[in-house]
Amino acid sequence: MEKEVNVIKLDEEFMKEFWEELEAMGMPVKELRECIQCGRCAGTCPMALAGLEYFIKRIVHASMLGLKEIFLDDSSVWGCQSCNRCVEVCPMDIKPYELIQAIRRVCFREYAMPSNTIDGLRNYYERGHAVIVKGFEERRKKVGLPEMPPTVIGNEEMRKKFQEVMKQTALAEVAPFPLD
Amino acid sequence: MKRVGLFLGCNIPLRRPDIEYSMRYLLKELGVEVVDLEGATCCPAFGVMPSVDLVGWCVASGWNMAIAEGKGLEVMVTGCGSCYGSLNEARYHMEKHPEIKEKVNEILGSVGMRYEGKVKVYNIYNYIYDFIGLEELKKAVRYSLNGLVCGVQVGCHNLWPSKAYPANDENTFQPKRLREICEALGGVAPWYSMMTDCCGMGALGSLARDKSWSLFKRKASKMIEEINPEVFVTGCSSCLLRFDNDQALMRKEGVIDFEVPAVHVAQLVALALGAEPEKAVGLAEVPVDKVVEKIRGGK
Ligand code: SF4
Ligand code: SF4
Repeated sequence: MEKEVNVIKLDEEFMKEFWEELEAMGMPVKELRECIQCGRCAGTCPMALAGLEYFIKRIVHASMLGLKEIFLDDSSVWGCQSCNRCVEVCPMDIKPYELIQAIRRVCFREYAMPSNTIDGLRNYYERGHAVIVKGFEERRKKVGLPEMPPTVIGNEEMRKKFQEVMKQTALAEVAPFPLD
Repeated sequence: MKRVGLFLGCNIPLRRPDIEYSMRYLLKELGVEVVDLEGATCCPAFGVMPSVDLVGWCVASGWNMAIAEGKGLEVMVTGCGSCYGSLNEARYHMEKHPEIKEKVNEILGSVGMRYEGKVKVYNIYNYIYDFIGLEELKKAVRYSLNGLVCGVQVGCHNLWPSKAYPANDENTFQPKRLREICEALGGVAPWYSMMTDCCGMGALGSLARDKSWSLFKRKASKMIEEINPEVFVTGCSSCLLRFDNDQALMRKEGVIDFEVPAVHVAQLVALALGAEPEKAVGLAEVPVDKVVEKIRGGK
């Protein structure tokens, strides 16, 4: 007998996987369904103005369709400025920026992130600052400040404590480098 | 005496410590005690913990706010828009979701720290606006800006998400506070049509440099066309990196043909309050001599 395949059901299964992942990362899909594709977010989004292919309105739509592959292939979500204009203007209170964060978290777990994200995270874990620009000691001296700022970068005891703390976060499971 | 915890972040202490100098200087001049937050880290930047995990982000921001609370502080002040955004958003998430805050305190508790949620995080210009006031600021001016035309760049994170912030402009799409501060110092800060556009600095700059540069070029050109500023004044240190350091690079690479000096609002206030220019704007890449001359030549 010929095997019956329920295409619609298959589709739902396919969408569900991404939806569940998004929900686990902080963006319930039932909220996304409220999106009316009005385009207000896209009208203010710097990613759209700069010409990135997947700017926010398209990202919301693709997420509703469960199209995870798009985000694994296309790095647009990593160009989001975290500016929250979309959150401010969305008439349906979708919080599109929180969707971007959820997508990034899903992609992160598939190791689909730009290399500067990994570098930033490693700097952050190892020295407490995501951005460390060489030569800071001289620059500080030049403007009459002590060579070391009072942050964790020059504070061995606090740095160790900080790492103890970070080891208890999701980093323990998903950091793309050893935590020691 | 007013006391604030100075939250430094990364770019201010490590790349543009002239902003740090200026913040320390102006707060002291305005009678505010500056308390260092020993052991503070990156806010965390949006591209790191917030892109990995929500609870982890709150732990990371909670760490910084717990240090301030441990010193009995009620207010932290930052000059960086990203720090302002990340700390306040984490704060907002923890307020809305007590279960996240509980988890955060479980983790912080393992090293003897605790985040209560009492400390508030202000950006420097809102702190001046709300805690010092424009009238007191005017009184403290030693060198007037002498009519200097300021093209203000407020910065996205200083405005949105407005629900997460302790202070803000009444209409965030028509911001006035930064302009009013420039004017209280004796400058002129006219409105221009692209005032709330993004400068392109940030994640977009790392992912697609030329596209992000085009946002700056468009905005700065429009500003020059409409108000022809003598100086760009930013409310955010990342915007300053774009308006000063990147502007210098763009000119070198032949992407732009204009040259307008740029300062962070803390630097502008510090100069007006009498700070030594070598320290307050000592790391500017686009020459600032004309700005300093106009201010120092004033009364
Ligand atoms: S503004 Fe909100 S409702 Fe409109 S397209 Fe964007 S996410 Fe959808
Ligand atoms: S937060 Fe991101 S998605 Fe939203 S408007 Fe800004 S750049 Fe676009």
